[in-house]
Amino acid sequence: MQNGEQSHQPYMLIWGILAFLMLAKVGVSLVGMPQWMSISFLVLISLVSALLVALYYMHLRSEPKKLWILAAVPFPLVIILILLVIQDFG
Amino acid sequence: MSQTAAVSAARGPVDPTRPEPGLGAYNLKLGMWVFLLSEVMFFTSLIGAYIILRFAHPEHFAAPGEVLNVPLTAANTFVLICSSVTMVKAFAAIARDDQKGLQLWLVATIILGSTFVGVQVYEYIHLFRDGFVPNAAAYTAGGGPLYGSTFYLMTGFHGLHVSIGVGCLIWVLIQAIRGRYSSSHLGGVEVMGLYWHFVDLVWIVLFTIVYLI
Amino acid sequence: MSAHATQEAPNDWDFPAFAGDHEHHEPSFIRKYIFSTDHKMIAKQFLAVSLFFLAAGGTLALMMRWQLAFPGQPMPVVDFLPSTMAPGGIILPEFYNAMVTMHGTFMIFFAIMPLLVGVFGNLLIPLQIGAGDMAFPRLNMWSFWLAVPAGLLMLASFAVEGGAAGAGWTAYAPLSADGEYTGVYLGQQLWLASLFILGFSSIAGAVNYITTVINMRAPGLTWLRLPLTVWALFITAILVLLAIPILAGALIMLLTDQTLGTTFFLPETGGEPLLWQHLFWFFGHPEVYILILPAFGIVSEVLANGARKPIFGYTAMVLAIVAIAFLGWIVWGHHMFMSGMNPVLGTTFMFSTMVIAVPSAIKVFNWLGTLWGGNIHFHVPFLHAAAFVSLFIIGGLSGIFMASTPVDIHIHDTYFIVAHLHYVLFGGSLFAIFAGITYWYPKMFGRMMNSLWNRIHFVGTFIFYNLAFFPMHGLGLEGMMRRLYDPTQYGWLAELQPWNVFITYSVFFLVGFQVIFFVNFILSMWTGREAGPNPWNANSLEWSIPSPPPHGNFQTIPVVYRGAYEYSVPGHERDFLLQNEPPDDAAKRRPEPAQRVDPSGQVKDRGGDQ
Repeated sequence: MQNGEQSHQPYMLIWGILAFLMLAKVGVSLVGMPQWMSISFLVLISLVSALLVALYYMHLRSEPKKLWILAAVPFPLVIILILLVIQDFG
Repeated sequence: MSQTAAVSAARGPVDPTRPEPGLGAYNLKLGMWVFLLSEVMFFTSLIGAYIILRFAHPEHFAAPGEVLNVPLTAANTFVLICSSVTMVKAFAAIARDDQKGLQLWLVATIILGSTFVGVQVYEYIHLFRDGFVPNAAAYTAGGGPLYGSTFYLMTGFHGLHVSIGVGCLIWVLIQAIRGRYSSSHLGGVEVMGLYWHFVDLVWIVLFTIVYLI
Repeated sequence: MSAHATQEAPNDWDFPAFAGDHEHHEPSFIRKYIFSTDHKMIAKQFLAVSLFFLAAGGTLALMMRWQLAFPGQPMPVVDFLPSTMAPGGIILPEFYNAMVTMHGTFMIFFAIMPLLVGVFGNLLIPLQIGAGDMAFPRLNMWSFWLAVPAGLLMLASFAVEGGAAGAGWTAYAPLSADGEYTGVYLGQQLWLASLFILGFSSIAGAVNYITTVINMRAPGLTWLRLPLTVWALFITAILVLLAIPILAGALIMLLTDQTLGTTFFLPETGGEPLLWQHLFWFFGHPEVYILILPAFGIVSEVLANGARKPIFGYTAMVLAIVAIAFLGWIVWGHHMFMSGMNPVLGTTFMFSTMVIAVPSAIKVFNWLGTLWGGNIHFHVPFLHAAAFVSLFIIGGLSGIFMASTPVDIHIHDTYFIVAHLHYVLFGGSLFAIFAGITYWYPKMFGRMMNSLWNRIHFVGTFIFYNLAFFPMHGLGLEGMMRRLYDPTQYGWLAELQPWNVFITYSVFFLVGFQVIFFVNFILSMWTGREAGPNPWNANSLEWSIPSPPPHGNFQTIPVVYRGAYEYSVPGHERDFLLQNEPPDDAAKRRPEPAQRVDPSGQVKDRGGDQ
């Protein structure tokens, strides 16, 4: 990445969004909607927050696409592990 | 990969002065990313165990806020998010060759990180008083002993990562005070940031899964 | 992690010290031999430590075989063990459990894995990609110096109260989770701590290998020109990187179950013993491929060299390695068919396991295709590599038996499993390690190993290996349980006792022949013939530089013009063609290329035999 870019990154904006998303999560967990719905919302919001951190704070957005592929390698394994093992504890 | 091969086949005679193009990230940064992938798998084993055990034994766990202090931890989460901003600000400062800025933002990050660990310890002390302990035989809080076991495992290892991160930040700060970084030598700061943001990212997931679901 | 920051400029390519780059001061003894950052020295350190553990594991195997052949009789020679282990030389059941556990642990974690990944990864990756050293030499040093305390902890566990861990190398919970079941408290905890520390070592190594291969290949060395050893070690490093942390997490849970009273795997307070099995084998099956993929790479390298032919189906070989590595993640359940697992899950795992036979078979056929019509030179590394192929086929076929759920129910946890795993780990990995050590010994030490004694070692090992392990298939089918202390206590096994005696004698001879190898290995460092840079007339970059290579390896950055398997190229006067030898027409245009290492002065045609 070019060093001059740094000052133009929307760091504070992302900070605001992350803080808002965190409050939204707490709100969702307090509101008392059906469990499946709250879990879906919470997982979705967390994934968005995590993605924002990776893309903007860890600068994945301005890294080469090959690094994206590298960074994505463990996630299929994460899903395989949890989904398959959970079948065994029905 | 095949793309690389095609490019090199197409470009004709080899330029002896340059190594084969790698990932376009310098060694230290690539090494940190690779290391973080193994960290992802480590936290997967801990979080995965929690998800699976909770699925298998829902009676061992309690509703959000019943046992754990959600408002306190939400505030603590905010502290950690702030520390990520200060860390990235430190990086932006050194990218502009702003040495004072680098040091100030690093100090801010260290303070915020230490605060996070301190609040976590405070939370642990209170939970222990309520009988929410890792030891199954001594567990008296809501839910069952699996709750205590998994909670302390996940948050404990995350806290350990934050503590190690604070230690590394202090090291980076010492290097910064010695003037070892500049806009063309900021690998150490950037890699420190990668680790720190990763730990923040893990907490965002952990906070949701442990406290809110 | 910031220590390098001051030396390394971002957005630039860093090439650590090449030999020609700067003046070299002779490092002090400690920097050169003990806390060395030179990848070649670290490889030798790993070699020394893992050969020690190979010998230690072999000694345990001998004592176990004695007990199986002559249960309850005092061991000859070994009559000095304390009364908690073997009073008067008679092995106690608890000590037998500890030996079974430690034999597996030593061999898998402290012998085969460091031999393949630690030794050959360190030695070959920088040499074969034309780099001066690893990307992070100091991290590399730490990778070794974390493995040493891990090994010491593991050894120390024999001396603590209750003895060493006795729950098997798989440490199934709840047997391993509470000392009351095995009588082993501290020993099991030391086992867990030791493996946890070893995990740091492995991950540090993996980070280094991956970064080095991605970022530090010499100009012209594209992905599809990499030697298959580098491909195999690279993919193995990815498996290590992603699998070991899962084990680390599981180890911690088991350790806190033992020490802090948590209840992850203890059923009476709500835990799930099956979770340990899932986590362990989610790590454990990729681990199986960590133990065999580098062997694939070594064998490909040696077979092509021995046959003087290009490796058959290079791209298919690469894809097969990648496919095996990926499929290795979705088959772990085939270790657990008897665990009471969900049957739907069992069927899934059965099919995914059988799919792995496809890339494995592609590799075997490609090896055979490499040999077909070759001008074969039966040098010692080639003999070991050829033995690898034949024994791996047997081990692979018995693997298909066990992948099939209904068959596995019959042979689960019997000596059939013991036979299978020794066919892939000894017949497979260890024969490939012998091939690799004999092949790269001249590059490591500058001298050849004695060929005659090596051939005697090979013949003896091959014969007695098969005599020792093949009958175990039959014993397993007859129902002999693995980890069994005394087979004569069951009538149907007492009848088969002559087989156990036969196996034990074979193992004694097998170990005897290994002594030849160890002695040859050590003596050849001083008495061996000077090897010269390229004793095998091979192609990859490490053979273009002196043996042993100087600190920093290459005088100048080598430039690569072709893949590593250009043997017997038509129209070329020699039957090999170094990767960095400029093409003929280019050489005509440029009579004196400044950057190349001239191979003609260094390469002597020895006909490929040692």
